[in-house]
Amino acid sequence: MKLIRTNPSNLGRVSDFEEWFRHPFAGLPSLGHFINNLGEVFPGVTGDKLAVDVHEDKDNYFASFELPGLKKEDVKIELNNGLLTVSAEKREKDGDNESSYSLTRSVSVPDGVNVEAIAAKLEDGILTVTLPKAEHRKPRTIALN
Amino acid sequence: MNTTCSPRISAPATSGVTESLRKPLYNVNGNAEAYEVRVEMPGVPKSGVKLDLEDNILTVRGERNTTVPEGMKALHRELSPLSYLLRLRLNTPVEEDKMTAKLEDGVLTLRLPLKEVAKPRQIPVL
Repeated sequence: MKLIRTNPSNLGRVSDFEEWFRHPFAGLPSLGHFINNLGEVFPGVTGDKLAVDVHEDKDNYFASFELPGLKKEDVKIELNNGLLTVSAEKREKDGDNESSYSLTRSVSVPDGVNVEAIAAKLEDGILTVTLPKAEHRKPRTIALN
Repeated sequence: MNTTCSPRISAPATSGVTESLRKPLYNVNGNAEAYEVRVEMPGVPKSGVKLDLEDNILTVRGERNTTVPEGMKALHRELSPLSYLLRLRLNTPVEEDKMTAKLEDGVLTLRLPLKEVAKPRQIPVL
């Protein structure tokens, strides 16, 4: 049993996120992608994988995705079983030409995230999902008695 | 996506550009009145867009806001932090003063109205 939780980075320990990214299943497209597998038939047309950046500060993890030209209503964010899935779907109509595409990406949410407080913002074509760390995961100093 | 790329707008070879920039995805549409150029530049705020038209070369620059707030560290990176540079050669005279640009959701849309001389016209048969 762990009694003290300190900031893992200070100990040179690999953070959960990094550990998770090395996991063989990390970043696999969501199951929905396989069911809805147009992407398998027309690779590059639909179901493309969305690139992600993950940052961390002392209070939050931040996952950022590039979604140029997309509106709030084109983006769906789901948290299911510790897996955060971002999917985007867009239809474009331009005269006689009509096109559509979809993008998806799942990232595993590390332990110690306050899932109730996850928030997302879409600005200048960048979606940022903020995953606040739960209180007990934040670095703290322990007073000596 | 519409890829009707007008043969009259082409990307000149970038020579002597040593800055670390990348070419954004773009799309050109044209009709009898104007060209419409859509450039994908996620992460670029309005203040980061610079447009320039000189010697028939349209230059679009988009500076990304790459300052990482203090105390934040990257755990995993896939997105490129590089700013964007797109140079397009216009072989058709356009109304420079009537050019419009709009940045919305990380997509820059430029409208380049054609000059009268460049518009198609009907020639009546006598």
